[in-house]
Amino acid sequence: MKLNTTITWTLLIVLTIASALVSKMDSTYVVLIILLFSSVKFLGIAFQFMELKKAHVFWKGMIIGFLMIFVSTLLLILG
Amino acid sequence: MKTVIINYKNIYYPPGGILIWIIIFLELITFSAALLAMAYYGNQELELFHNSSLKLNKTFGMLNTIFLLTSGFFMAISVAELKKSDKEKFKKYLILTLFFGILFLGLKSFEYYEKIIDGFGISYNIFFTFYWMLTLFHVIHVIVGLVILTSVYIGIRKENSNTSLEDVEASAGFWHMCDLIWLLLFPVIYLLF
Repeated sequence: MKLNTTITWTLLIVLTIASALVSKMDSTYVVLIILLFSSVKFLGIAFQFMELKKAHVFWKGMIIGFLMIFVSTLLLILG
Repeated sequence: MKTVIINYKNIYYPPGGILIWIIIFLELITFSAALLAMAYYGNQELELFHNSSLKLNKTFGMLNTIFLLTSGFFMAISVAELKKSDKEKFKKYLILTLFFGILFLGLKSFEYYEKIIDGFGISYNIFFTFYWMLTLFHVIHVIVGLVILTSVYIGIRKENSNTSLEDVEASAGFWHMCDLIWLLLFPVIYLLF
């Protein structure tokens, strides 16, 4: 538990710093990369820190579904 | 402390309890709707949003993300220690959770102070209206979370504590919700425009 949580935390910190660095780049894929990193972080918190990995598949599906709807709508709006 | 074995695989008993998860989803839907509205207006006025976004301190945003994630990390470890019935370690990690939460509030306050001094108030333009509304609403959640965790800490210190593991898990769920909301706010407000 502790090892998995520590690995997740390290990944979250690395992705946070990477997001800030990527945002300074001049590329058409910046938005996509930032949202991808944020999605991984979001799921890391939900599944590892909040222990959703132990929950019924309904709750796992709900959080993944929410994230997919939010990110795809955001991408649709931003074009 | 009362300990009850909970089968998390049961649809009605997600970790932290069903009520906290209903709150979490309602909060996520509310914040995401506001963020999508912000993205919509941002797409209408790209230059204004881009120039306004440049006025935000991205380093502060990144540091605050690190503070919240670290706080969430200690929260997760403290709950794990409580499940092993190690109350001393639970209290130690809970203090660290509170410490990083307070660091978040401290840096956020300094950021707000800078914005007010520079004249970028809530009515400066539509970008800053969204910035203030969304981040302040989030800050209120962080403050409520800190109050809940402090009450858990005080409760668990008592010799004959009636705080159950489920109470602690629900409180932890609320605290992690603050992380989840921030992970939606940070990229949209600070990085995307």
